[in-house]
Amino acid sequence: MSDAQAEGKAADEAAKNPPPYRTQPESPAIVSLVGVGKTFFRGKEPVKVLDGLDLDVPEGSFEALMGPSGSGKSTLLNLIAGLDRPTRGKITVAGTDLTNASDRTLAKWRSQNIGFIFQAYNLMPVLTALQNVELPLLLTSLGGAERKKRAQTALRVVGLEDRMHHYPRQLSGGQEQRVAIARAIVNDPKIIVADEPTGDLDRQSADDILTLLEKLNKELKKTIFMVTHDPAASERASVQRRLDKGRLK
Amino acid sequence: MAMIPLSYSLRSLMVRKATTFATAFGIALVVFVFASVMMLGNGIKETLGASGREDTAIVMSKGAQAELGSTILQNQVGKIAQMGGVAQGENGPLAQAEMVVVITHPKVGTSGVANVTMRGMPDNWLKFRSEARIVAGREPKPGTREVVVGRAARGRFQGFDIGKSFAMVENQPFDVVGVFAAGGGSLESEVWGDLEVMRTMFDRPGLVSSVHVRLMTPGSLQAFKDGFKNDPQLREYEVERETKYYEKQANGLGQFISFLGYAIAVFFAVGAMIGAIITMYGAVATRQREIGTLRALGFSRISILLAFLFESLALSAMGGVIGVVAAMGMTTVKFSTMNFASWSEVVFRFVAKPGTFQWSILFAMAMGLVGGLLPAIRAARMSPIKAMRGSSRRRGWHPGRWLRWLRRPPRCSW
Repeated sequence: MSDAQAEGKAADEAAKNPPPYRTQPESPAIVSLVGVGKTFFRGKEPVKVLDGLDLDVPEGSFEALMGPSGSGKSTLLNLIAGLDRPTRGKITVAGTDLTNASDRTLAKWRSQNIGFIFQAYNLMPVLTALQNVELPLLLTSLGGAERKKRAQTALRVVGLEDRMHHYPRQLSGGQEQRVAIARAIVNDPKIIVADEPTGDLDRQSADDILTLLEKLNKELKKTIFMVTHDPAASERASVQRRLDKGRLK
Repeated sequence: MAMIPLSYSLRSLMVRKATTFATAFGIALVVFVFASVMMLGNGIKETLGASGREDTAIVMSKGAQAELGSTILQNQVGKIAQMGGVAQGENGPLAQAEMVVVITHPKVGTSGVANVTMRGMPDNWLKFRSEARIVAGREPKPGTREVVVGRAARGRFQGFDIGKSFAMVENQPFDVVGVFAAGGGSLESEVWGDLEVMRTMFDRPGLVSSVHVRLMTPGSLQAFKDGFKNDPQLREYEVERETKYYEKQANGLGQFISFLGYAIAVFFAVGAMIGAIITMYGAVATRQREIGTLRALGFSRISILLAFLFESLALSAMGGVIGVVAAMGMTTVKFSTMNFASWSEVVFRFVAKPGTFQWSILFAMAMGLVGGLLPAIRAARMSPIKAMRGSSRRRGWHPGRWLRWLRRPPRCSW
């Protein structure tokens, strides 16, 4: 039996019999990772990024994940967000087993369950703030008027009702990130994943964004999983985790 | 299936104005050529095909492709006119013998010469050729060297205007006394004069080129044809409906020009499609992060594919419209070329029809579809994670890689 097969078997067993040291959350876990591993290949050389990782994220929590570059933070975030699949182990998010889901299934699942916030905002430069926020709603069966109404509401939540018809180039960095947050919440997802949401912002704008995320967590009960290098941002989360060399500390 | 907003694709085109318009211009050029060829084809069909009447038959010698290569004995003309199915006029059967020769004559505005058809006709030609009318000047007097020139030939050759003259034989000039129109057909590129004078001048005693016969009804053609089978002296002649004869004349030239034009259009189209491919690959490369984000939000591969295909189609449609509008300008241009059937120069117009524009736009869209397909597939196949990192280099052909290979520094082995 090869090493990989042995690890896979061990992960399956771990999934069936969770280890006793895993902390049981007070709320049911909306994110559950059991024995998750991820290996990339650099040419023919395997690079193990995550190794037998177990994680439970309770529903409604605001968690920050820190760690040095290359520790696997973004990889873990991509797995939780259904953008990637693990090499081994099992991932269940919002009640769906993502481990072996097809690309098409993952895409549909993401559109219904995940809100994304990126470091570089990732807005469509040729669309207005309103149109950017409306994008995820195009994946629903809502009519045009209802989509517009919801997009306007989302922009109002982030305090940008007066910038609806502005293009990203006409907004400041902080405003762009707020549009991105509005886009993340417009389809009422269960989980918001944020990859360095304050990485490109000045301190004041970063604080505003973190306050907004806290508000989304506390008032709208959104589960937020945030990857960050910024200790100040991490402190605003209710749970801090640290990832190093593919393992949670 | 969720569609990415069309405004995204359209506005993305406008972001890269320079490359968008360069590519659209390339497509416009191809569409211009394509539409012009179609319009010229229409013009040829209209010019050559517009000649002739359904109720008129043309008799020529067997094997002759055109009147120029046909000879009929003058003494057979009467017999042909008396055959069944021929309509009767006030002065007897409606039939007209004509003689066709081709002369080489200097053109106006160039140092070159071109062939011109001269047609000798009997006195009553205006009555028989009811589609023809004098539009300027007057009819030529019978038995004289007076001639009338067709509307399309007027002013294109030296001496082809009212009050001027031109000579084919020394000291025997033809005097131009009028200009005729003949329904816009190829006849308008000819010169018409007296049959007997021309026969003498061109040394064709006792011969004519063709006999044109007015039928009682268009359906009388078969009855007229049957008469030729029963008379051994007439078996060496062939009968055809006039419209069919001119249609055949149009086909040869039309097909030749269309083939030449379409070959050029296809040659250009390959270049334009490569332009579209490079433009769209560039669009995909510069918008990797956007593609990755759309995929992350939940848009499917097919939505991405369709968005980029739509972008390419919009680009080509823009080029198509520009090309068609430019081609519209060609409707004011006249074009003359040798008709290989009659070996004489015929003047054509570029004729636009609704089908011309539909096919031209469809041709442009086809270029956009072919040019945009590979880049769209590349965009659709991108992994959202790699795309958002902006490092979604895939194995396989890519113009950027090819261009880098071309720009690589030369390797010296010494």
